[in-house]
Amino acid sequence: MQLMLQQFPIVVHALNVGFLQTLKLFLVTGLGAIPLGLVIAFGSMSRFKPLSLFTRLVVWIVRGTPLMIQLLIIYYFPGMVLGHNVWGSGETGRFLASAIAFIFNYACYFSEIYRGGIQSVPVGQQEAGLVLGMTKGQIFYKVTLLQVIKRIVPPMSNEIITLVKDTALARIIALQEIIWAGQSFLKGSHGIAGALWPLFFTAVYYLIFNGIVTVALGRLEKRLDYFR
Amino acid sequence: MKKILALTLAALMLLSVTACGAAKKDDVLEPAEAEAEATEAPAEEDATEAPATEEAETTEEPAEEEAEEPAEEDAAEAEEPAADDAADADSDLAYVQDKGTLVVGITEFEPMDYKDEDGNWIGFDADMAKAFAESLGVEAEFVEIDWDNKELELKNKSIDVVWNGMTLTDEVTTAMECSNAYCNNAQTVILPADVAGDYETAEDMADLVFAVEVGSAGKEQVEALGYEFTEVQTQADALLQVKAGTADAAVIDLLMAAAMVGEGTSYDDLINTVNLNSEEYGVGFRKGSDLADALNDFFAESYADGSMEEIAETYGVQASLIEQK
Repeated sequence: MQLMLQQFPIVVHALNVGFLQTLKLFLVTGLGAIPLGLVIAFGSMSRFKPLSLFTRLVVWIVRGTPLMIQLLIIYYFPGMVLGHNVWGSGETGRFLASAIAFIFNYACYFSEIYRGGIQSVPVGQQEAGLVLGMTKGQIFYKVTLLQVIKRIVPPMSNEIITLVKDTALARIIALQEIIWAGQSFLKGSHGIAGALWPLFFTAVYYLIFNGIVTVALGRLEKRLDYFR
Repeated sequence: MKKILALTLAALMLLSVTACGAAKKDDVLEPAEAEAEATEAPAEEDATEAPATEEAETTEEPAEEEAEEPAEEDAAEAEEPAADDAADADSDLAYVQDKGTLVVGITEFEPMDYKDEDGNWIGFDADMAKAFAESLGVEAEFVEIDWDNKELELKNKSIDVVWNGMTLTDEVTTAMECSNAYCNNAQTVILPADVAGDYETAEDMADLVFAVEVGSAGKEQVEALGYEFTEVQTQADALLQVKAGTADAAVIDLLMAAAMVGEGTSYDDLINTVNLNSEEYGVGFRKGSDLADALNDFFAESYADGSMEEIAETYGVQASLIEQK
């Protein structure tokens, strides 16, 4: 116990550094995947058959393969197979590769949520809009999207909370996020070796952060509680 | 609605093109580009209300071919540099000197590579790597890697050398160009302290279930003895198994055991017992790299002038040092 108290400040500092990477990856993925998901959703709903089939094929591939494998392919494929490592060797390249893998992966999941949301708005409303002389753009923004945003908040919250924890997968390409930081004390880091508790302690970070995310999303849901 | 669609598709195309620019080409991004190419024409047609679905379909096909062709070209390109490398055998040393940094792949492992309080990499291996880089006229850059992926990292050129108390096993020497051995090590059995007295030799341990690091030298030892074992991610995980009682014993590096079990650690109720073998540490480079020879020369020099031993003494590993000629 005494020992743990001594180690605590050092460990918390190292975990904070790791958590900053986790947070960065989470935010970048969110900012990238939320709009990209909408684009993919439009693609898969397109009335132009080859486009929608193709988009669905891509979504199937991305959702159907493990994110861990996608990370490995994105990071190691250019250097190993194409003979030119575009990522460099440092942290930046690893982060960039992780961000691209996560954005693409999550955009595909988000796109299906968007699609469900958009298609859940009855066609009758669009017809009513047309009768009233609204343009398709007006109908989409003022009638459909308004209701879509409200409806997709709960399923999106699910994905966003999963994303917080999924960022841990990036350690497979040695992105030094919080799990990596916690695990390094097992082997020895910052003068502490063979310490088990920092790894378990990382769970507290996730728990608190997900608590904040849950509250924020809950508030958003409440604010969007217009109609009925 | 169509305008939005056309705009978003254009955006998607841009996105995927920039993504490909950064990533060159890889499996996941390739479809994205093909998608963008395939969708570009139809999107325009949609916008102009041209009812040419047939035309659109024909544009779809070339787009796919296009996507395939560059891939083939890339494969060809990939072969060329490889051929260059083979022909120009000196290239790895030249490559490192050209870019001015020697990127050293490590995992944090006291006393070989670890961080001091200011976050600088120190340790016997780290200091030797710095000295070696200096002798080449370049700077050493340390990068933490996932140990399972060390060969991948070398081939990917995201690191130039694996220098982290690496045991020279058959697997390692086939996959990498290795230096001469520079340090002695052993695989040691870790047992809970309260039962350690019952197991004095390796033969006594036949009924135990072992935890070993995947692909490690310890695993080879247990396999050779024919004992039951579970593979885990790291040596630290192996200790965790013993601590948690999900395995009876673990096999890890002796040098590491010194730092990881006993008083002052979370494993103060574990101790190291029998050494199963003796083995040697080496440094690994890309297959065929001339850096290995350069390092052997450097080892010989620094052993002769005593600087290698001096560094070893700093980290308490001088007893394990192997003479370099």
